Amino acid sequence: MSTAAISVTNLVKTYAKRGQPPVRAVDGLSFEVARGSIFGLLGPNGAGKSTTLKVLTTRSRPTSGAAAVLGHDVVAHALDVRRQISVVIQENAAELFLSVRDNLLTFARFHGRTGPAARRRAAEVMEQFGLAEEAGRKVMDLSGGFRRRVQVAKMLMIETPVMFLDEFSTGMDPLLKRSVMDLLRRERGAGRTIVLTTQILGEAEELCDDILIMNRGRQVARGDLHTLKLLSQGVYEVTLTYDRLPEGLVSELEGRSPLRLHATGNTVELALRESEEQVLALVGDLLRRGRVLRVEVGGASLEDIFVDLMQKEDA
Amino acid sequence: MSALAAVLHREARIRATNVTFIFWDILYPIAYMLVFGVGVNHALGFQVADLSVDYDSFFLAGVLGMASFGIAANTSWSFFLDRDNGMFQEMLTYPLSRSSYLLGKVLFNILVAIGQAIVTTLLASALLGVRLNPGGLPLLVAAVTIGTAGWFFFYAIFALRLKRNDAFNTVTSVFYFVFLFASSMFYPVEPLPQAFRIAAWLNPITWQVDVLRFATIGYGNAAAITVESAAFIVFSVVSFGLAQRALWKQE
Repeated sequence: MSTAAISVTNLVKTYAKRGQPPVRAVDGLSFEVARGSIFGLLGPNGAGKSTTLKVLTTRSRPTSGAAAVLGHDVVAHALDVRRQISVVIQENAAELFLSVRDNLLTFARFHGRTGPAARRRAAEVMEQFGLAEEAGRKVMDLSGGFRRRVQVAKMLMIETPVMFLDEFSTGMDPLLKRSVMDLLRRERGAGRTIVLTTQILGEAEELCDDILIMNRGRQVARGDLHTLKLLSQGVYEVTLTYDRLPEGLVSELEGRSPLRLHATGNTVELALRESEEQVLALVGDLLRRGRVLRVEVGGASLEDIFVDLMQKEDA
Repeated sequence: MSALAAVLHREARIRATNVTFIFWDILYPIAYMLVFGVGVNHALGFQVADLSVDYDSFFLAGVLGMASFGIAANTSWSFFLDRDNGMFQEMLTYPLSRSSYLLGKVLFNILVAIGQAIVTTLLASALLGVRLNPGGLPLLVAAVTIGTAGWFFFYAIFALRLKRNDAFNTVTSVFYFVFLFASSMFYPVEPLPQAFRIAAWLNPITWQVDVLRFATIGYGNAAAITVESAAFIVFSVVSFGLAQRALWKQE
């Protein structure tokens, strides 16, 4: 038996639309996810992350290739897979006509959890997610953020060994997001395997033990954060805050073709692939251009690695 | 079995905690019988050559057909909402098969329709003095059961295929009008103009209501009722096949 929680072999998913050429949303993807780890699937819009998750969660059949969750094939033994997983899909999904409490209890019932134990668990989960005061309110009367809370909270009603979260933090305020991230770490600590997709690279950087970056349905890079950072050796991130942004600075920096360049208020932030000497020389030059209140120079963030990889892909 | 029970429980919880569903599923057809039916009976009178009953008795089968049709439409709307608000996608990851999901919905539908039919028939008998045909009870249950399932499968095809809420609402509103009025639900088909009469004969609501009328008050020709029953079963089976196909195409 495989020690991996999830194994994907040469997975292909093609969507055919009448009168249009078929789209290969996933194109020969292979990977394994270790048990008890947090695995991140990253990529730009249309990279194939959600399609991969759809196949792994048995919502969509692969065109070819194979995928298994805890040894169960996602096509041949879809029901066995579903008994092992809980899923936060990308779209909002909550029972609009039911109360928050009933949402949790109904979800638990589908997984065979009923009675006083389920009700106790629902009360705990509502407390954890700041939903206790809304327990009796119908979900249709709640804001989008609260609906997302309910959706994520449901996953904590059961103890399936594998969790999938597709852009879980959409619509969450920063405090809740942080507490959910802490919670995910605890679930990993308890041995659950977590697979997530996100566009917010900081989340992946903080949470994931293992990251797969994909584009156009294929793997672009794979590894833990340290391994990925090796791919972007020579990429530096520079942040400077002036008391007043020097005139013409941004267009001048654009001339160096940085990987990323943001100027907000008096702060300019850029990531560039240059030698250490060149970067230090640039920083020295920038320090002479005005009164600098703050300066930071660091290695590449996951965002920089991501942008660098995508630019290489496009080239 | 537990998956099916969970689907039934979910449907029951949604319906029981939302008064609008109770109104549309149970009370609306009864209100039609007690207001519209009684009004027509007293104000306009009613005469069919070979039928010596009042309009209340004649209209009872129409009300049962309307309830069957309406309950199926309401459930298919909740089906559409499941798709629209992401619940359907999420439920595809629950430990239940797509067939259990469809079966759970239709079973719940049938249970509500049978409950509604019991209440309506008892009220018709107690308040309006409709004399029921006791021998027709098994046929009545069968007509309500198969009728509700057939209409649910028919509506499910559209609930699964249409993507926009306004399109789905338009389709159900048009169906409601066309199917109900171009049928034997409110009046006998025989005196109608030829084109109207043909449309009514081709309408599955007519087939179901005629069977219900035969079951409740014994009106109709047994041979014709057999043909209409068979036609409705074929309609239900075809609708089931198409609904099942649409369900399996969902990703």
